[in-house]
Parts: sequence; structure tokens; C-alpha cells
Amino acid sequence: MEGFYFSFYLLSVMSGREFFVSRYEQLGWKYRPVNLRQAIRFNQLNSSSNSIGRQDLVLRLSSLGLNLETIDFLSSGFWVCNSKVSAGATAEYLLGLYSIQEAAAQIPVSLFSNLRGKRVLDASAAPGGKTVQLANAMDNTGSIVALDINKQRLAALTNHLERCHVTNTIVYQLDARNSPKLGLKFDCILVDAPCSGNFASDNNWFQNRTQTDIERNARLQREILMKTAECLTDNGEIIYSTCSLEPEENELNINWAIQKLNIQPVKITCPGTSGLTNVFGKQLDPSITHSRRFWPNTTQGFYICKLARCPHEN
Amino acid sequence: MRTRTIAEFVTQFGVKIVFNENAIVEREGRFFLLNNQVKPLIVKDDFFSAGLYLGKIRTGKFFPSFNLLSMITTQDANRIIIDKKAAWLFICGRDILRKGILKTYGKIQKNCHVLVLNEYNECLGFGKAMAGIEQQTDKNALAVTNVLDLGDFLRRERSV
Repeated sequence: MEGFYFSFYLLSVMSGREFFVSRYEQLGWKYRPVNLRQAIRFNQLNSSSNSIGRQDLVLRLSSLGLNLETIDFLSSGFWVCNSKVSAGATAEYLLGLYSIQEAAAQIPVSLFSNLRGKRVLDASAAPGGKTVQLANAMDNTGSIVALDINKQRLAALTNHLERCHVTNTIVYQLDARNSPKLGLKFDCILVDAPCSGNFASDNNWFQNRTQTDIERNARLQREILMKTAECLTDNGEIIYSTCSLEPEENELNINWAIQKLNIQPVKITCPGTSGLTNVFGKQLDPSITHSRRFWPNTTQGFYICKLARCPHEN
Repeated sequence: MRTRTIAEFVTQFGVKIVFNENAIVEREGRFFLLNNQVKPLIVKDDFFSAGLYLGKIRTGKFFPSFNLLSMITTQDANRIIIDKKAAWLFICGRDILRKGILKTYGKIQKNCHVLVLNEYNECLGFGKAMAGIEQQTDKNALAVTNVLDLGDFLRRERSV
């Protein structure tokens, strides 16, 4: 019984707004309310015989009262501003001319070196925003294996693929931790790992999350990273991303991967701040500065790290 | 069998598409067209979806995907072009009145299938033609009944 009360005490101490805000301050970021902006991504795999260009889409949506503004760090991303209509209820959306995708979430796929003709694994694919983005970047060449464990989410994923005219993808209902069972090797692997999320995209986040959730998710993410890394070709690339701000799910997991999986972070060019190399007094591998952390502002919180195999030591 | 079902559906629009039987796989009544890159990735029989989704058979009836309708659109199929207002109403599940039709193509007879396109030639779905829509003089007469429209994507999401 004493143990129960102690656990309850720990849970109440290691959760709540104050607890997390104080953690963020220790990591060097001062909490402030955020002003998230809705973003969309132009989908070039549209079926139109007129071959709709980005500017055509901007004009078409503008005529509906949905005004767009270019996102300077994304090649196909737009901020939605002054919209009179819902971005998810236009004919253009249903025609697959664009996807609604948060701005930071559009970055991971854009960091692969070259996707055309490659074999790609999307380890936690549903609801499919990044799978469609991958197919776009590949221009429907090569192939994508998209996995997710939840059947209902797979239905949403396949709807998304059909709407956006994706033809190079095979979808399996499979836990990403079982990906080696497919017996396939991949040139590029996207591990957009299931995570604890962040307060910017969930109003009740502080009330609903505890340190225990974060540790459980971090463990799951390490397992996914370990198993998917087994499927990587020698010259392959992994993009690891989460929409969590918690270092256990980000820098600490990457530090673990560097030590255990013979992979290392690769330098990337994108917005955000360098990944943390000192987390609550623990010194991490210096190469983690290559990863990028997005503290919430106009985008939600996000973390991205590109990984490649360490050169062979003979 | 697989290709016959699909080919028969396509002919209802007055066109023909020849599919390679070996490139089509069926899973739980759903049909998928695979290219040479995707085909080797079928390493388990229980895939959820693969390649280009063509449509499904439910209770003996074929329901096409929007991918298949887009493929038919590129052929010389029976089709109508409708104006902006009619296009929006059609996507919302409504039928098409004569006054919303800007142009008709093909040999459109009573009860035949017609593709419904917007002013940009983009396929919004398909419907069933009423008698002699080209000769209809009453602008408010029902011209095409809605069978499938793009709004289905939203309806599916709600039903999940």
C-alpha cells in the first residue's frame, strides 16, 4: 500500500504544467503560449491533364477565399491565412491537389538526399501525410512500404493515398518493430515515431502527460529504431522524427542509437535549433548537434535527426 | 475474371481499357494495379493496399476508385463538363440539373454512365444519364443522377 502511495506521489510530482515548463527552462527554452499556423502542402501528383502548378493552386484557392503565403523553408509548403472556407472541404483538397500538413511535419521527408527510384520504408505511416509527401518526392517512382499497427488508421492512410494519386506504395498492418520480418532492405527509412506529442497541438497536453508516458514512448521508439535500422542498406539513410519536446524521446534516444546501432547523425540544413548535447547534466555525443529541435512558435514542437551507418572500420 | 469485371465497368462509359491480368491483384474483393517496382514487395498475402487502387466488389457490384475514373477520363469517354455551382453541389452528393451542364462529350444515352468533370477537366465522379440530356429544354430538369462523387472521401473518414 505504501508503494502505491509513493507511486501516486511521484506521478503527481512528475507531471503537470509546472513540471514540464521547468524542464523546458532547464533545457534553455522559456515557455510561452504559441500561435500555431495552419499549413498545406502542394501535391504535384495531381491527376489533372492540365498539370496544375503551385501558382495555379494559389490562384484557385484564393478565388475561394482561401489565401496562401509561401513558407520560406519549404519548397511546396504554404501557410493558410484569412481563410473563409475550411481547407479540408474544398474540391481542390478532394482532388488531391494539396494536403493539410503541419509545417514542421513537412521537413523530415525533404531531408532525404535523393528519393527518386529508391525503396523506402515509412515505419509509422498513418494517417499518411508523409507517405504522400514521399511519393511526391519520388514522383511515384521506386517503391514505398508503409506500415502501421492500427487498422482504422490504415483506412485513413489508404484514403489519403487514393485521394493524392499515389501508386508506388504497399501498405501492411504491421508493428514497425516487426519490419525485419518483411525480409526487405531499404535505401531510405522514415521513422516518424509514435510519441507523446506536445502542448502546442494539444490543449490538454499538460494535464494528460506524465514522465511515465514519456519513458514508455521513448522505450518504444528505441525498439522501432533498432528494428528498422536492421532493414537499412549499407549506404542508406534514416530520418528519425517526433513531435515531442521531451529529450528522452529525442536526443537521449539518438545518443543511445549512436552507441548501440552503429549509426550516426548526419548534418542537415533546415530551421530549428541544434539538438541538445547536455540534457539535465548528462553529456551526450557531440554529433547530436547535427539534429534539429523546433521549440513551438508558428510551428508545433518537433525534433528531426538524419542518421546514416558509420563508415566500416577494418 | 479480375480484368473482366473492371473492363465491363469501363465499357459503360463507351471506352475500352485493356489491363494486364498479371499486373492486377485482388485482396478481399478489392483490386490493385501493380507496377514492376511494387510487385516484388508483396512478401505477405495480408497486405492492406498496394499500388494503384482500382475499385472493389461488394454484393456482386463493382465500385470504382477515383484512380480508375481518372484513367477513364483520359480516354474518349462519355462525359459532361459542369459549372462551378453544379460541381460543388455534385461533390456534396446532389444530382445535376440541365442548367449546370456546360458541355457534353460522347454518345450519352439513357441510363449510361457519364463522367462528371469540372471546368478544369478534373474528374469529380460519375453519374447516370437521364434520357436525351442534350435535347432537354427545361433548364431545371434532372440530367444526371449522382452515383459517386469526391465527397465520398469525407464520408468515408466520418464512417471510420
